[in-house]
Amino acid sequence: MNRRGLTLHRAALGLAGVTGLVYAAMLASLLRDGWPLLSWRFLLGLPRELEAGGGVAPEILNTFSMVMMAMAVIAPLGLAVAVQRVEYGRDVWWTRELDRWSRVFLSVPGIVVGLVAYRVLVAELGWPVSILTGTVALAVLNWPFVAVSAGDALAGVPESLREGSLALGTTRWQTWLFAVLPEALPSLVNGLGLAAARMIGESAALIFTAGVNVSPHWGLAAPGETLAVHLWYIRTEGLMPDATGQAAATGIVLLGLVIALLWASQRLALWLERRH
Amino acid sequence: MTAHSRRLRTDRRQQVLLGAAAGLYAAVGLGVLLMLLVSSGPLLLRVGVWQALLGVHWNPLAGQFGLVPFMSGTLLVTALAILLALPLAMALAVVGARVLRGTGPSLMTRGLTVLAAVPSVIYGWWGLTTVVPVVRRWSGGPGFSLASAGIVLALMILPTLAVLFQDALTRVPPTWQEGSLALGATDDQTLVRLIWPAARANLFRAMLVAVARALGETMAVQMVIGGQTIWQLNLLRPGATLTTQILTDLAVFPPGTAGYRALAVMALLLMAGMYMLVRISERWERTP
Repeated sequence: MNRRGLTLHRAALGLAGVTGLVYAAMLASLLRDGWPLLSWRFLLGLPRELEAGGGVAPEILNTFSMVMMAMAVIAPLGLAVAVQRVEYGRDVWWTRELDRWSRVFLSVPGIVVGLVAYRVLVAELGWPVSILTGTVALAVLNWPFVAVSAGDALAGVPESLREGSLALGTTRWQTWLFAVLPEALPSLVNGLGLAAARMIGESAALIFTAGVNVSPHWGLAAPGETLAVHLWYIRTEGLMPDATGQAAATGIVLLGLVIALLWASQRLALWLERRH
Repeated sequence: MTAHSRRLRTDRRQQVLLGAAAGLYAAVGLGVLLMLLVSSGPLLLRVGVWQALLGVHWNPLAGQFGLVPFMSGTLLVTALAILLALPLAMALAVVGARVLRGTGPSLMTRGLTVLAAVPSVIYGWWGLTTVVPVVRRWSGGPGFSLASAGIVLALMILPTLAVLFQDALTRVPPTWQEGSLALGATDDQTLVRLIWPAARANLFRAMLVAVARALGETMAVQMVIGGQTIWQLNLLRPGATLTTQILTDLAVFPPGTAGYRALAVMALLLMAGMYMLVRISERWERTP
């Protein structure tokens, strides 16, 4: 035993270093395999099923449009649920049950939502496997995440702010809109950024709802393979000769999008916090 | 009408709108659960709950719906992932909470947050190009195996686990730690005898979050597990989990077939698992 009693801490430092190296090796192999294929032709071209040199332009467009549409629906709806629960909420058995199931649905596997959406939307309502169907699946899957993270953001605002506002004679909606919301905005933005990152990387819920192929023409009813699904598809079923490299290059684009998005939302949150 | 009564009317209207949003939210959740019950019900009634759950043969076309291979696969892969990730996540958390100074801890949290947000297909890609060949060379088997899935999954849940662990450790009041050090305890003794016990409840709940992620992960596991439906317990051979089997068989069994109903039973089992994890986590909420 070390006399200063730092043995465990040194071991932790060593293990953490090894772990860091593993992740570094992972990123390095992604860059090694994918970097040579990254070019304007890759970013702006159409995917090819059987020959080398395909691109991912439709996948980028699909990813963007589906995440943005789903976000446009669940950001307000998630905030509404959070406000209802935190600002107007009563503590009775059914609200407690609702909160509990929110947490259950927080970790619902994407494939379960895909299974249900496939039956309800595609098999029974007859919707095509398309961008719109995939967007609905994405929204259903991530609504609880937005609701819970927005709820946490609102709950983090000190009670004294609400009391001060109400004591001045305002109504409850004025209180949450003008006193609570500005204070909660930074962590709200962070939560929304994480939600968008989750959606960009989602694939299990989309394979059977948005599909594994693309159309050269964008449309709500057109098949909507996203970047994440594309990566899975070419790495498990792709027939093109450069499948490994294509998958890695797609992974680099995907990872770049996620990092850029997280970085931007963190900067925005920081800026809001300083300005406040 | 005074300004205040107008505002009160807005308040009532807004309450109705918010209530409607919450109602829709509950309806969607209930709808998903009901659809799973409706989809799986006929099969469970015909085959019997226990026969379906405890059968070891999966051959839906021949009327065999045993789910044991997938339940065992899910449990084995999850257990392996947690066992591998726990010590590494604790090491990262100890470094983040007790070794690094200044901006170090927050930089580490940000890095881990990015790693936690890396899409699962990228972990799966890496598993295919690196983990599977290594396991193949080691074991002489196909490489696609429960062990590969466990390793990939461990790396995937590690960042989340480390962030939550680090948070749990930093929540232990610094005055307690200073008191322990002032009494002559070494840093190691303070960590083992004071910080871990004090953070116990939060550490345990962090682990439950990681277990939930591991149970529900689909893509990364499906890419490296091999998808074999014959029940076996050798970690170095291929297998399948509840999630991967839904993914691979949903294309084969469209809604309305008996196979789809069996997949819905698997989804129901996963939801039951998530519900149990939340209930266990609630019991630890008020313990210090």
